[in-house]
Amino acid sequence: MGKTSKDKRDIYYRLAKEEGWRARSAFKLIQINEEYNIFDGVLRAVDLCAAPGSWSQVLTKKLRQNAENVEDVKIVAVDLQAMAALPGVIQIQGDITKLSTANEIIKEFEGKNADLVVCDGAPDVTGLHDIDEYVQSQLLLAALNITTHVLKKGGVFVAKIFRGKDVTLLYSQLKQFFEFVTVSKPRSSRNSSIEAFVICQNYQPPEGYEPTMVNPLLDHKYCDFNQFTGPNRFIVPFNACGDLSAYDSDTSYPLLLEGQTSYEYKEPVQGPINPPYKEILDKTKFSNKCWRNINA
Amino acid sequence: MSQFIHTDVTVVKLHQDFIITGIGSAASVFERNSLKFLERINCLIGQKIYGIVPLKDSSKFLIFGGKQFTVICIDCNLNGDTNGLNIHRHFKPLVCEDWLHSATWVDTNTVALLTAHNAVQIWDLRTQCILSQHFSADNSILYSGLLLPLQDGLLVFAGTVFSEVIIHTPLDEKPLHHLKGHRGVIFSISCNPQKRVIVSTSDDRSVRIWGINPNKPDLLSNTTEYWKNIDIVCNHEVYGHTARVMRSSITNELIVSVGEDSVICFWGYDGKLLKKHETHQNSPIWSVDANNSHLVTGGGDGAVILHPLSMASDYGQEESIILNTQTPAIPKKIAFTARNNLVILNDIDSAIHYHTTNTKTTVTHKINHGSTYKLLSVSSCKQLIAVADMSGKLDVFAENCKEDCITRVVDTNLNEKVLSMQWAGNRHLVFCGDNGNITVASSVNSTVDIYGDFVLPNCKERWLTAAAMDVKNKILIVGDRCGNVHVYVKDQKNPVKTFNKVHGRYGPTSITIKNNEFITTGRDGTIRYFSVNENDSSLAKYMTSKELEFQWVEKFIDKEENIICGFKERIFVVYNVQNNLKLIEVSCGGGHRSWDVVRYIGKVGDEYDELIKLVYVKNSEICSHTFQLSKIMSKNVINSSHSKEINCLKSFKSNLDKTISFYVTGGEDTTLRLSSINSDLQIRDEIVSKHLSNVRTVKIVDLEGSIIVVSAGGRAQIRIKLIHISRVDKHLKASSQELIDYLIKGKDKERKNNQTWRNSSIDFDPETRIMDVDVLKQNDKFLIFAGCSDACLRLFSFIYKPGNVTFEPIGEMRHHKTCILKTTCVNFLDKDILITCTTRGEVSLWDVTDIVSWDDHKPFFSTITNKCGINSIDTRVTCDNILIATGGDDNAIHLTLLEFPDLNLSGTYVKHRWSTDKFHCSQVTGVKLVDDLLVSTSIDQRVTLAKWWEEKEGIRCDFQSQIFSDIADIQGMEILSNTSGAITVCVFGKGLEVVELPK
Repeated sequence: MGKTSKDKRDIYYRLAKEEGWRARSAFKLIQINEEYNIFDGVLRAVDLCAAPGSWSQVLTKKLRQNAENVEDVKIVAVDLQAMAALPGVIQIQGDITKLSTANEIIKEFEGKNADLVVCDGAPDVTGLHDIDEYVQSQLLLAALNITTHVLKKGGVFVAKIFRGKDVTLLYSQLKQFFEFVTVSKPRSSRNSSIEAFVICQNYQPPEGYEPTMVNPLLDHKYCDFNQFTGPNRFIVPFNACGDLSAYDSDTSYPLLLEGQTSYEYKEPVQGPINPPYKEILDKTKFSNKCWRNINA
Repeated sequence: MSQFIHTDVTVVKLHQDFIITGIGSAASVFERNSLKFLERINCLIGQKIYGIVPLKDSSKFLIFGGKQFTVICIDCNLNGDTNGLNIHRHFKPLVCEDWLHSATWVDTNTVALLTAHNAVQIWDLRTQCILSQHFSADNSILYSGLLLPLQDGLLVFAGTVFSEVIIHTPLDEKPLHHLKGHRGVIFSISCNPQKRVIVSTSDDRSVRIWGINPNKPDLLSNTTEYWKNIDIVCNHEVYGHTARVMRSSITNELIVSVGEDSVICFWGYDGKLLKKHETHQNSPIWSVDANNSHLVTGGGDGAVILHPLSMASDYGQEESIILNTQTPAIPKKIAFTARNNLVILNDIDSAIHYHTTNTKTTVTHKINHGSTYKLLSVSSCKQLIAVADMSGKLDVFAENCKEDCITRVVDTNLNEKVLSMQWAGNRHLVFCGDNGNITVASSVNSTVDIYGDFVLPNCKERWLTAAAMDVKNKILIVGDRCGNVHVYVKDQKNPVKTFNKVHGRYGPTSITIKNNEFITTGRDGTIRYFSVNENDSSLAKYMTSKELEFQWVEKFIDKEENIICGFKERIFVVYNVQNNLKLIEVSCGGGHRSWDVVRYIGKVGDEYDELIKLVYVKNSEICSHTFQLSKIMSKNVINSSHSKEINCLKSFKSNLDKTISFYVTGGEDTTLRLSSINSDLQIRDEIVSKHLSNVRTVKIVDLEGSIIVVSAGGRAQIRIKLIHISRVDKHLKASSQELIDYLIKGKDKERKNNQTWRNSSIDFDPETRIMDVDVLKQNDKFLIFAGCSDACLRLFSFIYKPGNVTFEPIGEMRHHKTCILKTTCVNFLDKDILITCTTRGEVSLWDVTDIVSWDDHKPFFSTITNKCGINSIDTRVTCDNILIATGGDDNAIHLTLLEFPDLNLSGTYVKHRWSTDKFHCSQVTGVKLVDDLLVSTSIDQRVTLAKWWEEKEGIRCDFQSQIFSDIADIQGMEILSNTSGAITVCVFGKGLEVVELPK
């Protein structure tokens, strides 16, 4: 594939590189904010499953506008994987299903709760949709579980969700903890993609709810008000977000965008760190190198 | 109700004489020897099956998947009558709180389950209640797990996201062992305690073979004590797959792993890679099971394939043939004869006949050649062997049909230069000499008659590479070194029809004439099909081609043209093109050496088997390789189809048999396929064409007996095919003909002006995908509207008449600002109206009646329905209004009723709107209006039936019923039939399912 074909195929991939974001997903958070103003008054935010760090980048930029003193802004990024450092972001390399991780976050906030928790985590997809959807829902529930430890009442939780066959089970679960639950698709997320985002506002845990990390939060079962098939399914309102005039992720744009006079190819801002296939790549690198030398 | 399903095969099980498969929520049973389908049963509810666990005495099978499990029993009368198979389910599936990774029987009425959060549940099947539950301290999510029943408890293998396998028991607080070393998610764990081996597969592309070393050897391996007193070490970390390794299976002799790369790897216990076998058409292999004789695999292409285990170790019988000639000589050319003997030309001008069963040379004929440029050709019956040299010396030998020897029947000199010589059938020899002079000779007794003279058009290296003759219709078809194919008729020197450059620069390797068609093969990795008109050969047409996975395609070795052989670089390959299975792969050095192959039925021991024998000359020696097919040949239990998502589907029926539905499908795997489902619920499909990129849309037009198929998609490619259905014996046969292959942006070469990639400058134009097309018949031509991803609407005209097939762009319309997702045409008030939908939820109507100029054409009406992209649209036209149903990415369905005051398009307005976002919880990808019913489907895998009507206050639509489909990632649907009681629809996405919706 040519160097520029990715740039041509995906406008947001290209814009992300031009604007210095580590991933195109940065635009998704920006567009969610345009619709829901989730950053209003937020000083303390948690970015779960943060790597490669594009949402932390957005948080840093946006939250600093909320504070007179930059020191008041606290952003904690949590991920299992290592992430390249970001100025102004406290990093915790840990598992979001562990109580220790929740305590570490609270420690960073000096005992205070977070105003906003975001999670853009996605599992390693297998290609079997039901497993992928299940693992994604477990990731979201793990994020919700840790959120119940760190989020202030009235706070906001934003997470990636796969709108698969059992998504209504998650909706009904989220609705137990938040007054407003809507599902949203930023213009920068592709039409064909199963991914969407839940925006959960006004955190109000059920009365007597004690956050616990001992057992994982399991998802709901189908019931009378949320049938497996039928007229009574628990479906939350949907909103598209992002300006109507924003770029459309499905549209192919020329390399020279309207109003531009030149185009320059840019390398990605941050490459992957230690992927699982690294070993095999290293093993086969020799032959690739030889091939390249022959062709040089 | 599901009538047919073809999708990912998530579990396969070999059990006694049966193969049991889990496809979607149903289990199917096949007989292992005959591969006959026996019975199917719905097991789970809206959940794929991931495990089938038989009870020891085979009286019951535990079926689980997702959070559900149930028990079925298979009663069979094994005394020859497997038709009496009776399957039933014991109870409706029970639902656990968590996903299940593994399950096992504790006793006849108790089962143990391992959940994705590493909890072990014990269930009593009689009361259908949980007896006990044990949570492990390590409760982060598992990707795989294995429960091993022990005499005194259970052993748990948990494959974590943290790249380790934890071995624990529900009774012990602390895990017994941690198997560390993988660098990615663990996808599967298998264990064979008798063989003291554990196998884990992972995201990191590796397979790890762990050895169990007992510290107290007298403990039995099915006791907890034993597992506490062992050391587990990673004996081998092996790499054989190029993608993630999904599953493994352990047999007595070897270890099998299957991967996302469509590869089966056979490993020895010593970690040695015994064999790599590619299967399942590049789609992931999800499931595997093996016993000590067979291996069965299930893949993402929906196929279930049975492989003999011997394929891992049976490399065929290899021997070298020593010719005991008096004078030492080097073999140069070699070929098989009718009695499967060999005829060999050597460097000292001898033709030798070698008896393969007696391993003896029977006869040696001296040939007086004047040139070292020698040619050897065997007639199609293989009884006649022609030998010639460049100077024109010709000898023909005949193999005696009763005795194993050859006699010389022709010994002559043509007195002209011979550059190439081929038999065309059994009676005619085709020579090509200087200046493209083609002479066709036929032999009568010992003299040579000239049948005809022809002239090969001028080309580089002007001689032939293949020839074939239709004696009855007096047609000669030849292929030359430039890849051209020429058709001649008797008494006309020049070709009546030439197909230029059909097979690349080496020329066709073989030509086969069959009834009204001929088939050519070439070294460009293709088989090409042509039709011939017996009355007028100049009307020969190129029909279609098949692409194979190896470059050098040589010839068919069966009479039905299904089994083809060739070379993949240095490897000799035999491939069945009918069911896409590779039969043989053997390294022999490549096709440039002299070689031949024969397929026959021969005696092996006491039984007859199908054999394939390959001979080739290597290092001046003759090597022979014999394969017993039953030992190495895989067989399809269920045929394969698309290896990735199906993006589009259209169905049609032929007038010849209205009971059979044909499906034209286009997919993410870049193929366009034509398929049908037979009465045994077996799918048969054929690749009609291969696009450069994904196929996003297909439309069909019925032309009395033939179907025009327009497909389009990525790389802005449009292809048009003609499909013709005819009756052959009792069956319907589909043949296809390529009409148009068009790239909006031009072919790569045109776009880059022949520059190499190094010198080419950046192309600023966007790469465009065609998202949807619609075809409109206007007068004698077709108009094709293409909605593209660069927001441009493009119009083409297509003319299809005998002798006139043209396709040309008419114009581009840049009205929309974002990607166009859907285009559809309706006829209303005698006007042709085009409707376009975009990613912004916009619906625009264009008047395209008698389009002359496309300049400044604007939609006459636009409205916004959905909040996001519109994935599906359907319309219902009455005499004075149009009802438009749209389904979008916002999980909403909109009904929009358009009114036309004074029946004039200019005053169009929306009379009523209705919408709901409660029918589906995910993208709505299919809507259909059928009379007063609305059918919709979505990625959420539901198909909804609703009823709509118009009232004074507006349009109303009420939910009627909903069913679940096992097809993931549903991309759309097609209505197959509509009767008073039910609507039958076909939903497609990751596979396809035919379901019936009761009204």
